[in-house]
Amino acid sequence: MTDLRTAARDDPRERVAGSSPAARSATTTEAPPGAFAVATDGLTKRFRSGQVAVDHVDLAVPRGAVYGFLGPNGSGKTTTIRMLLGLVRPTSGQAWVLGHPVPQAAGRVLPHVGALVEGPGFQPYLSGRANLARVDAADATTDPRTLARRTDEALERVGLAAAADKRFRQYSLGMKQRLGLAAALLRPRALLVLDEPTNGLDPQGTREVRHLVRELAADGTTVLVSSHLLTEIEQVCSHIGIMSGGRLVRQGRRTDIADPAQARVEVDTVPAHVVRAAEVLAALGLPEVRVAGDRVGAALGATDPARVTAALVGAGVDVAALAVRRPTLEQVFVELTGEGFDVAR
Amino acid sequence: MSRADAPGALLEPGTGYGDLPPAPALRGSLARLLVAELRLVLGRRRNQALLGGLALVPLVLGLVVRLTQDSALRDQGPGFIGEVTGNGLFLVVASVFVCLPFLLPLCIGIASGDAIAGEAATGTLRYLLVVPVGRSRLLLVKAVGALVFAATAVAGIAAVALVTGAAFFGVAPLTLLSGDVVPVGDGLLRVLGVVLYVGLSFIGLVAVGLFFSTLTEVPVGAMAATVVVPVVSTVLDSLPQLSAIHPVLLTHHWFDFAEFLRIEIGWDVLASGLGLQAAWALVFGALAWSRFTTADVTS
Amino acid sequence: MPSTVLPPLSPRARWAVPVVAAVVVAGAVAAPRLAAADSSELPGLTAQELVAAVAEAERTPVSGTVVYTARLGLPSLPIAEVSGADPTALLGGSSTMRVWSDGAERSRVALLGTVSEYSVVHDGPEAWTFSSTSGTATHYVLDAEGQARYEAMAADLADGTLDAPLPAGAPTALPEDLAAQLPDEVLAELAPSVDGSLPTPAAAARAALAAAELSATVEVTGQSTVADRAAYEVVVTPTSDGTLVDRVVLDVDGSTFVPLRVQVWSTQDEAAPALELTFTDVSFAAPSDAVLGFTPPADTQVEEVVVPSSMDRPATAGAPTPGVDVSGTGWDAVATISGVDVPGLLAADPAALVEQVSPLTIGSERAQDLVEQFRPTDEQGRTAVDLDAATLYETLTTEVEGGRLLTSTLLSVLVTDDGRVLVGAVPPQTLLDLA
Repeated sequence: MTDLRTAARDDPRERVAGSSPAARSATTTEAPPGAFAVATDGLTKRFRSGQVAVDHVDLAVPRGAVYGFLGPNGSGKTTTIRMLLGLVRPTSGQAWVLGHPVPQAAGRVLPHVGALVEGPGFQPYLSGRANLARVDAADATTDPRTLARRTDEALERVGLAAAADKRFRQYSLGMKQRLGLAAALLRPRALLVLDEPTNGLDPQGTREVRHLVRELAADGTTVLVSSHLLTEIEQVCSHIGIMSGGRLVRQGRRTDIADPAQARVEVDTVPAHVVRAAEVLAALGLPEVRVAGDRVGAALGATDPARVTAALVGAGVDVAALAVRRPTLEQVFVELTGEGFDVAR
Repeated sequence: MSRADAPGALLEPGTGYGDLPPAPALRGSLARLLVAELRLVLGRRRNQALLGGLALVPLVLGLVVRLTQDSALRDQGPGFIGEVTGNGLFLVVASVFVCLPFLLPLCIGIASGDAIAGEAATGTLRYLLVVPVGRSRLLLVKAVGALVFAATAVAGIAAVALVTGAAFFGVAPLTLLSGDVVPVGDGLLRVLGVVLYVGLSFIGLVAVGLFFSTLTEVPVGAMAATVVVPVVSTVLDSLPQLSAIHPVLLTHHWFDFAEFLRIEIGWDVLASGLGLQAAWALVFGALAWSRFTTADVTS
Repeated sequence: MPSTVLPPLSPRARWAVPVVAAVVVAGAVAAPRLAAADSSELPGLTAQELVAAVAEAERTPVSGTVVYTARLGLPSLPIAEVSGADPTALLGGSSTMRVWSDGAERSRVALLGTVSEYSVVHDGPEAWTFSSTSGTATHYVLDAEGQARYEAMAADLADGTLDAPLPAGAPTALPEDLAAQLPDEVLAELAPSVDGSLPTPAAAARAALAAAELSATVEVTGQSTVADRAAYEVVVTPTSDGTLVDRVVLDVDGSTFVPLRVQVWSTQDEAAPALELTFTDVSFAAPSDAVLGFTPPADTQVEEVVVPSSMDRPATAGAPTPGVDVSGTGWDAVATISGVDVPGLLAADPAALVEQVSPLTIGSERAQDLVEQFRPTDEQGRTAVDLDAATLYETLTTEVEGGRLLTSTLLSVLVTDDGRVLVGAVPPQTLLDLA
């Protein structure tokens, strides 16, 4: 909360912190005071064509998190990221990065942010190393004397040292992606914004990127990583935000992201106790009680599984096994967006 | 990675990011960006080919004049091309005269139209902006890059023409358009004045090119639009019905470099020519700035 | 970054910047014009006083830029586009000239083209023309008798026994019977006659003023601003109704009395003058010696022309030219040339036609010399205007009963089928009636 209030000081409007359910869940369950690396309030982008690309998005990326920014292609992820980096001006709403408003304070903030936006972009006729030198020359706050060391380190880190002196034009898609990562790592960063970093990489490269993200997070860097392929980044994310049709439809810890209301409790018992078990569950007020052979199931809702166990035991039901089953992230996603992860619109 | 370099060290735990350490711009950072830009502009093979092609013009012109100086073809073309045979200094003027209407605007239009749109097309623009480079600063650097290209193009033609002319025809006292003759030193100064004026005459075109370059992500479009401007301007300048707007046309004063070859140099004419360029540069530079600093970068 | 310290401008405020820039530019362009508009009041003068003042002002050195504009209503000729600085350009459109004069017998006029120049230098008893397009010079000198007379006059002038002369090369823009009445033309008459002399406001104005009193009314109508200088405006209106010339407007500098602008208005066009010759900037400092003299470049082809002394020149001696018959006087005079073989001329050489007609053109003997520039003067054809003569003739003239007619806002020419050519500053009907 502290952080959002800090951020709100830059905003003339009295901001109601965490007004959306998603943001509230993130702030209340998660964030230590004053520790959002990225926060947005009602961030909206309507293009001149009238298309609303981003619609009242309230992002909350806690400091130190690896935030998986998910959504089908065209759901508004990239436009949101562009607004965070000061490339696109929001139609309404406000974004804060590292506690400062953007795009107003972009010049102050962006040196601490490494970014890979919608694929790598480099001069095709320059070598990888020369391209990094050019990007670094544009940075008014880095020391040209340390350029060689920093370049070598960054290239080493993304596994591109051997191809550093080849022209960018000759790079494979994966090498280009790696060079983009190297550019983001040319100097220490407090926040990395990686838009589809695994695009064009083979499974081995994808694993390496995951490893890199984990390593950076371990160093204390906050990482905002977007993808339309859940499986590629799910394992490294501590937090997840899901975009659909320009809206942020779900946000929170990865472990909490599956809606608790969707969890089901399933009880294995002896055939004689099946009916009684069903009655107990119904008596607890659990909906959707179903019987299948020796197994009785019901939607758990907000009910504590311990209460279910106690009630069953109290009713004298023989409980062979009791399990709480939550839907997978992918099931949540399909339910929220109405489509698969890799469906392009 | 040393402890001090670790990103975590940037932050005091528990205090949030409000006290994000400011990253002060280092001294000479603008010069560093400028050098990188010039290296990019002048190191690019396409641009080198353009400059080389332009530098070939005086060489070819000198060669043609030398080969035909004893034939019936001599003295064809503008009067002073015939003068080349007697004085290598005239090759500079003749080359500039030949390149001024189309070749130079073409090359300079390509370089300035490409300035921003080219970066947008390769996707490098967004990476420069998130480095971050201030948009005004980037536009300034791009403008300087395009101006240096223009200056290099004109200076290249002049230098090759001077060397070729001196080698083929020698250097002699300069015959002015009025028929008066000035000594070699004075003549060299006047020819230098021609080259300087022609170079400065492209300031307006560079500004126009920069503006078009901020409008699109398709560099070819910006280049074509830029090249069309002097062509249209020349056409309009030749229509007497439009004499009212002639004084404000971009190309109206381009050929006033001839003032340096008149017996008394019309400094007021040259001043109005440069003033016109300044006016175009001011208006289109301001347009480019407004557009570039407010545009959404979606490339 | 400074941009983060200062509150950034809103997009709307940023778009105001080019608007401000455009306003600043427009202001910078307009400001001098507005400043020039408020000229100080000049003391009132009658036409007589003004003419006297102009006559006394003859020794004033002048230099500056002159713009000449002709709106003769001729079909457009594809000449100016293809040639460099060439006096034929004066026939139509707009031309710019630089003028330097010491106020006496030395002057230079340069017709400016795009990277080209046509110069006429009068230097006492000799004169030069130089064309940068052809790279050739022509040197005019007086014959021995003329040279002797010139030197005697110059000596007298130095002694103060002679009135100040007109500048050399002043056009004798007068009917020949008037020439004799002009007292001050002595040295000017002695100066060489140059093919392709270029007109100057001073010379043209003097000629107009001198001619005016005989057949026109002259009045000072007010004040004007020419070349940022306050000037008297004099209007000369022909008394005759039979001429195409509606009025001649003359602007004379308020302090030096140097003519700054001459406009000839046609009865056919009330919107703009048919001919205009005006300084766009002017200075009364003495030009440098280098400008007033001329030495041809070493390897230049120089054509030497000896000008016979003025007493023997038929045009100025007032002797009638054979084959030419003048009817009428003053503004509505019409000249008839008989025995012209038009089809033959066209088949041969367009210049021949011009040469035949040339003694009788627009009113200035020197201006007619300009027309002579139609003539290809160079054997290699460098300056020749490569126009098909018959086509040009067809373009310029229209078919009428009994011949072909050329009409312009100031001049009409009728070529009859029986070989006569009628020329005059009169409506075409006058010529048709005469024929």
